[in-house]
Amino acid sequence: MKDTKTKPTSRLSSWSEGRWGWLIVNIGLLAVIGFKLATQEKELLLRAQELNLWLPTSLYWKTLMQYPGGAASWFATYLTQYFYYPWLGVSILCGLWLIICALLVWIFRLKGPWVALTALIPLALLACITQTGYWIYYQKLQGHLLVPTIGILFAVLCLVVQRFLNDYLPAKAARWSGLVWMTLVCIVGYPLFGAWALGTTGLLAILPGSHSALADLEGSSVSSSRERKGANRFHDGGTSSTKVTAPSLIRRAGGESLRILFALILVAAIPQIYYQQLFEMTERGFLYVAAMPSFRYGKDIFTEYRLPYYALILAFLIITIVGWMRSVFAADILRPWLRALIAVILLFAAIIGVRASWYRDANFQKELAMNRAIEELDWERVLTVARDASSTVKPTRQMVMYKNLALFRLGRAANEMFFYPEGAVQQNAPWKARITQIGGKLIYYHYGKENFCYRWCMEDGVEFGWKVETLKFMARTSILNHEWTVARKYLDLLKKTTFHRAWAERYERYLATPEAFDLQKLEASAKSGKPLLDEAGMKEFEPILHLMTYPDRLDGDNTLVEMYLLQTFARGNGDDPLFQEMTLLCALIMKDIDLFWPRFMKFASMHPDLHMPLHYQEAAYLYGHLENKVDISHMPFDQNVRDTYDRFMKFNEQCGPMSEAQKAIAFYPQFGNTFYYFYFLVRNQKTN
Amino acid sequence: MTLPSYKSLKKPDKSLKKPDKSLKEPGKSLKKVLYVAILSQLIISCTPSVPSQYVEADDLPNIYPDYIDVTVPQNIAPLHFHIDHDSLATDFVTRFIAGSDQWTLGGEDVRPGLKKWHQMVASALSSDGKISIEVFIKQAKAWQRMKPFTITVSKDSIDPYISYRLISPSYVTYEDLTLNQRCLEDFDESLIYGNMINSDEENGQCINCHHAQWYNPERIQFHVRQYLGGTVIAYDGKLQKINLKTDSTISAGVYPTWHPRQPWIVYSTNNTGQSFHTRDVQKIEVQDTKSNLIFYDLEANTVTPITRDTTDFDCFPFWSPDGKYVYYVSAHWEKRDTVQMDFELIKNYKEVQYNLYRIPFDEASCSFGQRELIYDAVARNRSVTLPRVSPDGRWLMFTEAQYGIFHIWHTTADLFLMDLTQAEALEPTPIQRYSPNLLPEGLLPESANNIQRDAAADSLREAQGKLTPLPAYLRNITELNTPEVESYHAWSSNGHWVIFSSRRDDGNFTRPFIAHHDGNGHFSRPFELPQDNPQYHRQFMRSYNVPEFLSGPVTIRPQDFAAVIKKDATPAQLKMK
Repeated sequence: MKDTKTKPTSRLSSWSEGRWGWLIVNIGLLAVIGFKLATQEKELLLRAQELNLWLPTSLYWKTLMQYPGGAASWFATYLTQYFYYPWLGVSILCGLWLIICALLVWIFRLKGPWVALTALIPLALLACITQTGYWIYYQKLQGHLLVPTIGILFAVLCLVVQRFLNDYLPAKAARWSGLVWMTLVCIVGYPLFGAWALGTTGLLAILPGSHSALADLEGSSVSSSRERKGANRFHDGGTSSTKVTAPSLIRRAGGESLRILFALILVAAIPQIYYQQLFEMTERGFLYVAAMPSFRYGKDIFTEYRLPYYALILAFLIITIVGWMRSVFAADILRPWLRALIAVILLFAAIIGVRASWYRDANFQKELAMNRAIEELDWERVLTVARDASSTVKPTRQMVMYKNLALFRLGRAANEMFFYPEGAVQQNAPWKARITQIGGKLIYYHYGKENFCYRWCMEDGVEFGWKVETLKFMARTSILNHEWTVARKYLDLLKKTTFHRAWAERYERYLATPEAFDLQKLEASAKSGKPLLDEAGMKEFEPILHLMTYPDRLDGDNTLVEMYLLQTFARGNGDDPLFQEMTLLCALIMKDIDLFWPRFMKFASMHPDLHMPLHYQEAAYLYGHLENKVDISHMPFDQNVRDTYDRFMKFNEQCGPMSEAQKAIAFYPQFGNTFYYFYFLVRNQKTN
Repeated sequence: MTLPSYKSLKKPDKSLKKPDKSLKEPGKSLKKVLYVAILSQLIISCTPSVPSQYVEADDLPNIYPDYIDVTVPQNIAPLHFHIDHDSLATDFVTRFIAGSDQWTLGGEDVRPGLKKWHQMVASALSSDGKISIEVFIKQAKAWQRMKPFTITVSKDSIDPYISYRLISPSYVTYEDLTLNQRCLEDFDESLIYGNMINSDEENGQCINCHHAQWYNPERIQFHVRQYLGGTVIAYDGKLQKINLKTDSTISAGVYPTWHPRQPWIVYSTNNTGQSFHTRDVQKIEVQDTKSNLIFYDLEANTVTPITRDTTDFDCFPFWSPDGKYVYYVSAHWEKRDTVQMDFELIKNYKEVQYNLYRIPFDEASCSFGQRELIYDAVARNRSVTLPRVSPDGRWLMFTEAQYGIFHIWHTTADLFLMDLTQAEALEPTPIQRYSPNLLPEGLLPESANNIQRDAAADSLREAQGKLTPLPAYLRNITELNTPEVESYHAWSSNGHWVIFSSRRDDGNFTRPFIAHHDGNGHFSRPFELPQDNPQYHRQFMRSYNVPEFLSGPVTIRPQDFAAVIKKDATPAQLKMK
């Protein structure tokens, strides 16, 4: 029988022996982690919840549960939603991590500096999030950012049950119930948590203090009830000791080996049984990594991204070893200062590891910020980010396209387009990230290529799963395409989400005024002072409707968003002023002289009272001099356009023998913001 | 409040069978009685009842799916529906009346469940065959009764299973594709084969074109493309994977049709391309640049070309139930420009139109005769696909649209019916092509879309007498068609039901609809495939592709298909005639 009178006292005393102090260290560490996540990775977290979808429907649950580990995704997608308010999401996350730490302390009876080792787990989980980078667009595992946290939480809760069984059941019952529990975790846990349940089965097998029922089957007297009591006393307090003899250790090790062997059989067999009986959609090779993110893109596997997951395993092994040592040797055999030193070294190593794996890329951050600014139709903020000179790295084409879009929407593209850094830096991902899968949908949407926006939403939805972002685009493109019923379908789905209901309701209101999406009627209503759309609707939809004034044709973009836009607009011909200007701008960017002139002339005739924008003047002045096809002598060019051109040519003569790359550097301070520079010295701006 | 589902009712309440120990103790038994009493009271108070006072409304209830005045087979699953309403409605009661019996259900989701539904059907069949449904809606504390409607129960039963592919209405990408089967008598859906069991990140697999021989679930075939590709054929317990591509054929087999009895399959072989509309809501265009027909003998494992003309695109074969003809569609195209064929076809996509043909087949010599033109759709500026003959051999249903072959993306796609007893082989006439853009300026506003332009052009031609009129033995099945897409269709084995694909719900996602056929070429109002959750299709992000009837479930497990697919395909041998 357990000594019920003395036990609580011994527990209390054990908690007071240095646990709280070290746990507070962990809490401090988590607070720092939370702060850094919520501030430095705010944009990532906001994007994560946009690229996530959780629906409170049985269909959603059923869809996830087609594959092993569906419940892990379900919980993870549920929690990911909370990054809608980054601080709230981070607080919940840190709260879960703290619970994991506290439970591990209790499960493994950790004391003193060993308590700090539990922080290795949240650090590894943190790295699972912060290493993400462009994987955020490419991960197929739903809720991938938080699945590891859910998986570990599941594992820890299973260990808690096991610990309860060990502590509160008679020894023999504890042994058998432990085995039953381990079996149950594997059988029931696998369909719900996939590989995390398999890992948990392994952990249950090696949990210190777990006693082998199989050993009993052998007739071994490893743990008589008397010995068992001793073990319990030791686990509870660590203050009393059990005499460890070599034969008892061997017997105990033999029992544990059988238990581990049984666990291995479970881990190997249960997925195969499920494959035969339940999971008809799961590839055999996937069975043992179900609910784990795959860091594979095409043929390439990027194993370095698995490091935080290996770190998780290592952290558990370390904690288990410490628990085992305390279990076997009855107390900490190391001196306190040595324990503290080991714990601190391990923690520092983990922190360094997290720092090393933390994905930091200025362009990635800027793309995220610009993307959000565009979603909020805050065009000035897009330009502010584009101007940000805190990083010397040249921009990606996506950033350039975002910037051009913002300028176009503000009506300043023809005056300022070349005032911003140009570049064609590849996205900092180890594979070739495609704009169609990153920001292409947003760009297509705002440039009036609604079918292509819809197409890439559908392609992404099929390949990477449905997301809030794709549903939002599909709803809006359907509205612009006058497909009201299917727009309602997407809005109804969004209305079921926790945080995007208000958004959906706002757009649902537009369904009541279908005539607003006929440009002529919309313009007429605006002229009459009673616009069919509210202010936000006018701001968002009207320019897009202008850009949609082109005839239908069969086409394809070959995933090259920028090239497709440039080609189709530059070759387009329309009478809508906004559309027409877009054709001119694209002809300008393409440096196509034959396309430029007719569009320039048409622009001039359509805007007789407008002062010709700077870059158009520069292009006309340059082309007039390069080719004598068009007589520019009567054109009223600004004096600074003429002067800059003259200075440019003169400087060019001075730099005669320089290579083009050298000239690009030399010319930039004086002429970097001119079309002349763009025409002669900005080349090979390849898009992806 | 919704009533408990059939499944929960069906389960015996084991706790009642066991002697309750607590009853032996007076105090506990009293508590138990009290609990039972409270529970009973709660159940009674929650049981919906028809309001005693209400206002009669002039309108029918707005329900989804739309089951108003439809005809259903006696063995169909319960028709669960959702009452669409505005935010002011607070309570709902629905009364079903069949014969002298009635059932009352509450809630906006009306789900009678299997047990009650069977009672309703039995009562209806023993009286006038009708289930009358009244929907009461409470709004602003007052009840109103919507105009009642009926569901007619037909004594003609339907094949118990259908098979279909579930696919997102996607473009190029595919991830998980499944071939499913659904029991029409309840809501059970199961997998025939899903591609993910044999796919990984690097190796994707497409599956398509499932088809059974004369509704037989033990004789089915489907294709696997790309990774581990081949045609999977299950025939009376023998499962194999065949490579139907030979050096002398365009591709492996594509659209299949089994001979009704023999182990023979006719396939089309196709070179297919895809392009995308920039503005049109008919977003995708799929075109063949080559297509012919081949004959496959399963026992001999031989492929024999049937048609080989490169200027004819032959597609969608269908073997008549007597096995004497193969019906198919064909477009004639002779290369005009110097550009590549696929670009030429993309440029002129509206001019590629298919006529309906048949080719006689002699079972004794296993040979085909000369093709016969059955319907000159091109003369009507139309294009036909998917000929399907009714089991009695009298009726031929096909899909007709303005142009092309991929009608699932053509909103002009409608179902047509031909009476084969009156149809005759036509003399081939020179193909007259209509330029799609011959519209007088100013006839339509600039904002008019493709569909409006095509319709206007045809109206104009019709007014000018330039369009050939529809033959008398052919009709548009207006009772089945809508302005949205109606496409893939199949007859039930008794010929009394047809299942077809329609995008009428939202214009984008294909849903299966079923309609009763009276045997004389007339159809009842179609109903959407019933689901346990009536709003299921509103949430579901995939389309039903190629719905076909089966006389029972396919019993081969997906894992067994997967094992066969993992093996190398047996190459079919070319046999020239």
